[in-house]
Amino acid sequence: MHFASLFQLFIKRLLVETVLKINNLSKNYGNIQAVKNVSFEIKKGEVYGILGPNGSGKTTTLAVVLGILQANAGNFQWFGQPLSKHTRRRIGSLVETPNFYPYLTLWENLKIVAKIKDAPEDDINYALGVANLLKRKHTNFGYLSLGMKQRMSMASVLIGNPEVLVLDEPTNGLDPEGFAEVRHIIQTQAKEGKTIILASHILDEVEKVCSHAAILKSGELIANGKVGELLSTEETVYVQAEKLDELMKLLNDSEIASKTYMSDEDLAVVLHSNYKSADLSKFCFEQGYPLSKIVVKKQSLEEQFLQLVK
Amino acid sequence: MKKLFNLEKIKALSYPAFKTLMIIHFLLFFLVILVVSRWHITIPGFSVKGLYQFPNIWTFFPWVASWFNIFLTIVLITLVGNEFAFKTFRQNVIDGLSRNDLIAGKLILIFTVAVYTFLMVLIAVLIFGLIKTDGLTAGKVFEHVHLLFVYFIQAIGYMTLGLLFAMIFRNTALSIIMFILYFPIEGIIRLFFKQEARRFFPLKIISNLTPRPEILTMTSEQSYTNASGTSSLDLTEMGLLPEELPLGVTVVVALGYIGFFIGMSLLLINKRNL
Repeated sequence: MHFASLFQLFIKRLLVETVLKINNLSKNYGNIQAVKNVSFEIKKGEVYGILGPNGSGKTTTLAVVLGILQANAGNFQWFGQPLSKHTRRRIGSLVETPNFYPYLTLWENLKIVAKIKDAPEDDINYALGVANLLKRKHTNFGYLSLGMKQRMSMASVLIGNPEVLVLDEPTNGLDPEGFAEVRHIIQTQAKEGKTIILASHILDEVEKVCSHAAILKSGELIANGKVGELLSTEETVYVQAEKLDELMKLLNDSEIASKTYMSDEDLAVVLHSNYKSADLSKFCFEQGYPLSKIVVKKQSLEEQFLQLVK
Repeated sequence: MKKLFNLEKIKALSYPAFKTLMIIHFLLFFLVILVVSRWHITIPGFSVKGLYQFPNIWTFFPWVASWFNIFLTIVLITLVGNEFAFKTFRQNVIDGLSRNDLIAGKLILIFTVAVYTFLMVLIAVLIFGLIKTDGLTAGKVFEHVHLLFVYFIQAIGYMTLGLLFAMIFRNTALSIIMFILYFPIEGIIRLFFKQEARRFFPLKIISNLTPRPEILTMTSEQSYTNASGTSSLDLTEMGLLPEELPLGVTVVVALGYIGFFIGMSLLLINKRNL
């Protein structure tokens, strides 16, 4: 790439507003450290996935940056400023379960949200329409099914046309149709240039929707970056040969493989980035283990995720 | 301020239990004063009518209403407890309210409920007082009117204490139980202190804002009051320390406690996770 265009890219990157910057954030619940020194940065327009198994600290991290929980250490900034009433109104959030007054109708509940955000009441009908709940606007929230409650949460997130959407497991409890609807809403909002922070255990969703992702394990950040880069960093080759156990040991001691593991009947070999499948085949042949099967596969995010959190 | 008021209006007025309890509060108060007005004291020379006449009515009605302040406090605890149960305090903060706004909203609710009960007692006083008092004079009507304002402070005092309990326990049932239990608990604790100190305990101070009317004096057709207009039983003259502080001092200390309850509620909402 030409130096000038590289420089332009660098300047463009510098000028892109940082929406959320987290520095060494830690949160304890008694003796349990739920989040440990987590740091990452989310730029404007990114669709940022936060992945991790249950108890990895995804929700806690989001709850701290939204001001619901107090951090024990570290700090964070939204739009380059500490969290305030003003910055909160630029963010639409859904954290854990839908939290509304069960005795109020959907319209009354959203009226409360609109008043807090100083948003016009027109937003309520728009949001209910997007969430496909317009016909239920006079139904009490307590009477809704779990899926409808989740869609109601999506509607409340959209009130006030926020610049950032923070969505924690937004497809929880949804049927396939609701799942598709929520995904469509997220994709539409992303196309409109909104920054979306999506915590999800549905890796396929993150892979399809997100531009960037962070992976948390036991409260620690173990990987983050562009989803494309996360996918392309490692190439996994599935091989078959005689004496797979011996081959596995040999590869583990070699420079060619970063990791090996059994995947069903095959030996999965994760190659170091400077090696290709041809190098593996040649190496095995030279060592006296000719391969009877060789399948090259880029790891899906799910596979990488499972490898990382093992 | 207006925004917080509107938010509390939606939350409270659309809550069926709140509406029902407020109607019950209103009906119970009027039921009690109507029933008492129908009582006939069989002791010759005494009549309940005296309680319903100016200026005695300014003491009697706020005293009756003061019992219902506990009821209002339970309603308030229910509303605050709901915010924790439904996790709506958390959602309100996510949506853009500050933690201090959450308390400010509840203080606006407390103030509004106190204004309602103040007006309820005022209207009741005017209706009964004007009907039952013979020989009305402006001086007679407005004598002791300040007791209604003191009653207003008491309503706020009880409800801010209820708010603090709700902030501590974050559970409606537990907060109500602890609030009710606090009455006998404080009574027992007071026994371990000297009489001078006993008068300064929070519930003692707040309940003393509406002193028990001297029923016998007020219902006596031949006045029992002495020349200075006070009770014929002067405890200090008898060498006893009265249980109550002078009203002015009680009001000042009560306002101090209200400030303390609000301060503690703010501290708790800011220090604890939502």
